[in-house]
Amino acid sequence: MTTIRRFCCDDLLRFSSVNLDHLTETFNMSFYMTYMARWPDYFHAAVSPGDRVMGYIMGKVEGQGESWHGHVTAVSVATEFRRQKLAKKLMNLLEEISDKMDKAYFVDLFVRASNMPAIRMYEKPPHD
Amino acid sequence: MASKFGLAGGIPERRVRPIWDAVDSRQYKAALKLCTALLAKHPTSPYVLALKGLILERMGKPDEALSVCLNAKELLYSDNIFHFDDLTLSTLQIVFQRLERLDLATSCYEYACTKYPNNLELMMGLFNCYVREYSYVKQQQTAIKMYKTVGEERFLLWAVCSIQLQVHFSSGGEKLLPLAEALLKKHITSHSLHEPEALAFYISILEQQSKYDAALEVLSGDLGSLMGREEDKLRLQGRLLAQACNYAAASEIYQKILESCPDDWESFLHYLGCLLEHDVNLPKSRTSEHPSSLPVNSALALKTSLSEELVESRLASALTFVQKLQVNDTSDCVRGPHLANIEIERQRRRSGNPTDRKFIEALINYFHRFGHLSCAASDVEIYLHMLSSDETAELLDTVSRSFDASSLSVKALGLAITTFKVQELLGTFFSKSTTEIQHIAKGMVEAFYKNLPLSRDLDPQESMHGEELLCMASSILVQLFWRTRNLGYLIEAILVLEFGLTVRKYVTLEVKNILLESASHHILPQMLNSPLLQQTADLVIEFVQFKERLQHSMQYLSVRSDSVILSLKQKAESLEEVESILENVNHGARLVELSNEDNMKRFTFNEDLQARPWWTPTTSVNFLSEPFDEGSTPACFRAKACEHKSTEKDDPKIKDAERKALLPRLVYLSMHGCASSLRETQLNGSGLDTDATEMKPLLVKYARSIGYSIDDALSVILGMSSGKKSVKDFAPDIVSWMSFAVFINAWNLWSNESVIPRADESSPSSWQIVDSLVKICIEEQLIDANRILTSPGNNIPVLVQMITEPISWHLVVIQSCVRSMAPQGKKKKKGGPSERPNVPRLQAIQRSVQCMIDTVRGVQSWLSDQMRPEEQALDILLSYLQGGSEDGPGQISCILEENSARHNPEHGERIAQSLETWSSAGVVRRIVGAEKELLVELRKICDSKLNLLASVSASLSSALH
Repeated sequence: MTTIRRFCCDDLLRFSSVNLDHLTETFNMSFYMTYMARWPDYFHAAVSPGDRVMGYIMGKVEGQGESWHGHVTAVSVATEFRRQKLAKKLMNLLEEISDKMDKAYFVDLFVRASNMPAIRMYEKPPHD
Repeated sequence: MASKFGLAGGIPERRVRPIWDAVDSRQYKAALKLCTALLAKHPTSPYVLALKGLILERMGKPDEALSVCLNAKELLYSDNIFHFDDLTLSTLQIVFQRLERLDLATSCYEYACTKYPNNLELMMGLFNCYVREYSYVKQQQTAIKMYKTVGEERFLLWAVCSIQLQVHFSSGGEKLLPLAEALLKKHITSHSLHEPEALAFYISILEQQSKYDAALEVLSGDLGSLMGREEDKLRLQGRLLAQACNYAAASEIYQKILESCPDDWESFLHYLGCLLEHDVNLPKSRTSEHPSSLPVNSALALKTSLSEELVESRLASALTFVQKLQVNDTSDCVRGPHLANIEIERQRRRSGNPTDRKFIEALINYFHRFGHLSCAASDVEIYLHMLSSDETAELLDTVSRSFDASSLSVKALGLAITTFKVQELLGTFFSKSTTEIQHIAKGMVEAFYKNLPLSRDLDPQESMHGEELLCMASSILVQLFWRTRNLGYLIEAILVLEFGLTVRKYVTLEVKNILLESASHHILPQMLNSPLLQQTADLVIEFVQFKERLQHSMQYLSVRSDSVILSLKQKAESLEEVESILENVNHGARLVELSNEDNMKRFTFNEDLQARPWWTPTTSVNFLSEPFDEGSTPACFRAKACEHKSTEKDDPKIKDAERKALLPRLVYLSMHGCASSLRETQLNGSGLDTDATEMKPLLVKYARSIGYSIDDALSVILGMSSGKKSVKDFAPDIVSWMSFAVFINAWNLWSNESVIPRADESSPSSWQIVDSLVKICIEEQLIDANRILTSPGNNIPVLVQMITEPISWHLVVIQSCVRSMAPQGKKKKKGGPSERPNVPRLQAIQRSVQCMIDTVRGVQSWLSDQMRPEEQALDILLSYLQGGSEDGPGQISCILEENSARHNPEHGERIAQSLETWSSAGVVRRIVGAEKELLVELRKICDSKLNLLASVSASLSSALH
């Protein structure tokens, strides 16, 4: 079980368990805060009952005309909470928000070519 | 007024563009050249001057930048200025902000807004200035003015947001809430609202005035459609209903939420809170406290006013509801309703029969269903602590029997790991005997190896199944090391971790990089000045709170002190460099100010303790090093561990930060005072009083930070230097004691008071105290270091600190003294007598120099002894692993060695290949290599100290003869 809520500043000081992974990038603080300020609906943390940060998703909405779309900047889950479809859940949430709140046409993301586990996850149909 | 394009600040764009391009590509010299040329054509253009200021600032010339920008500002204020635009102002603003002169930027905008009233662009600039300065009232006034000028919703929200900030951060701000409400109401009547944020502001203003019904009405009306997602709207409704004490309606709303999101744990807790009318579980307004999720353990002490029967019947209905949710779930991933079951049983147990078995049954069911997940143990951690030891045993037993440990499956492995984790969380390992836990660690490593075939098809970047076993095993080994002080365990702990890294290719360099980045979170000062974007009230308030948190960060102060101390240590051999380092941090005065009592009280601790292992990394507070007591129960170890974590936040750490913050200033005062004292003592020393009066309170503070009054501290160093007090008794702070002695000596040189009570002429002088203290402390370290030869965990770091800190500071004092008496043409003294050196003092200095030379040479020769051939060092370390007995270390490294050598076709090619490269000796060889590097570096430091000492000694001799 998971509480998914808006990512807050204090989470920046306690999300190292998620970011201590060589495939997860750690940006500087202003980068995260810019996302929090500009696209608060696109930045969510999943929190465990013991109040640990299980993972988070960070994104934005951008583009013009028909390319108005949601973008996933980062989605990451701490090792302890992997293999329970949490990333998928966070992705679905972002998709829903970009669709319902911002009427975006699609959602895109970049993934490192070497990150095979992630690619496999994104390739699965959405409600698998 | 010129627009941004075409004419920039009155200058044709094509002329300015190349300058900006050069700035953007960091070609500052080229930019400056272009700018100077442009300035020749437009000598009175404030815009070009502002640009020049910007370039100068980037080039690291803050003073010149400031003067150029002040010039630009003056021109702007003069009446005959032709071009006055936002581009000029915003360029100036950037420079002033970087020069930490926000006030100047604000006054420019204020002036512009008076001159050109009703200019929206300028007003927005002014608003942003006030935001940067946290002037909430002026922010509000400016926003209202903009709103009145153009009537746009966003400016109204800026005003409302400024009011919210006053409510939260200034006293008496609440009075403004009705004003905000009235403004919004009026706007809604005439224009309605169009942004979701506007609705959020409105609701939040109503909520803060406890007008919950009004807020609910707004939400269910037309405006409610601004909420994009149904669940968000329901959550808000539930919160408002609960705050309005309409618990029945609120719990119904939460039921609805749970039906669509059964895994939403926070909503479940709120649901239960509303059912039972428990304070703790009830939702709070988001602005009233941090919107972090509810920790389950806060619900431990909750009280309800309901009767026992009512509680029971409501819990029964909750259980029925939760069971329905369980049945509805087909995915097997939704843990919420199952955990909810445990929580409901816990509540029942609290209010009814404490021996009721339903609670433990719920836990057992949870493990049956989700026990294979990596997070199973931490999910229920809080509940585990409520079990009696019999119940714990039953739980572990049932879980262990539920799977076949001999079969290879991810699920069985997961369950096995969970049982270990439960024991780790409960502290069970602490109360077991050395043999028992060693056996457990061995079992963990074997289980990891046995299950490796499960990972054969995993991507090399994915974590291998069972990696946690290696972390837990090495954690036990560290515990064994502290319990037995047998180095072999520590080596084995390293081997186990290295073994895991051999199997899984982890890019270690990137991990380091991330660690650095995450540490820099605490110190990025530019964040403290970042302009806040206006979004929702919650967010802005949160940003301001966060800014405060970072500003008072303990780590921030520590890092600031540390970086100064580090530079001082690196450059200690050159007095000029030391002076320039100190000059750049205004001689340490700012750090002293930051560490004053008021600031210390407001310290925040931002370390991520959850991400840290349960032992503390400083030896002075290492609870693993406390004596092992067979009679202790796991619960008392748990308590101890918690205590150690919570005390992280107080005393030793704060004292340490305080002491570090004082250090640069003490170094500065010591060298400054000494330098003049040698020349001026004969002139009665009156000019030195200000420094002397500053030094004393700092030393009092310094002594207090070690836990002593200044008088007691003086007798401690006297006692230690004369051998009457054992250095060992003061071991954790020994480096601080040595530095203290150095500063006392420096102070004594030029103070009018007699710092150290001297009974007669034969009592030691302050020089002799330092000399003998340094000598004794270092000799002690060398003996200790010999005792645990060539080993990790030895005293080398302390030795390094002694040489690079107290000895360095002492040498800085000596160098200052020597320099001040050297004939210098430029520095003519007022009186003639200064030419005649103070012979007794010079002799004291020379004796001290000789003592330092002897001491550092002692370290040198010890180091040479340690530089044994690699093979020999390797043998010593490996011998720790060759105990061969049942009890000692060596068994796990044996397992690793044997298993990796045996080829197992089930591992798949990739894992098999990785295992072929494994060799314990290879890892130990790397440890030896690292040690050697350490010794070589230390020898270099000693070499440079000795060189310096030799040259000082030479100049002293020539002065004396």
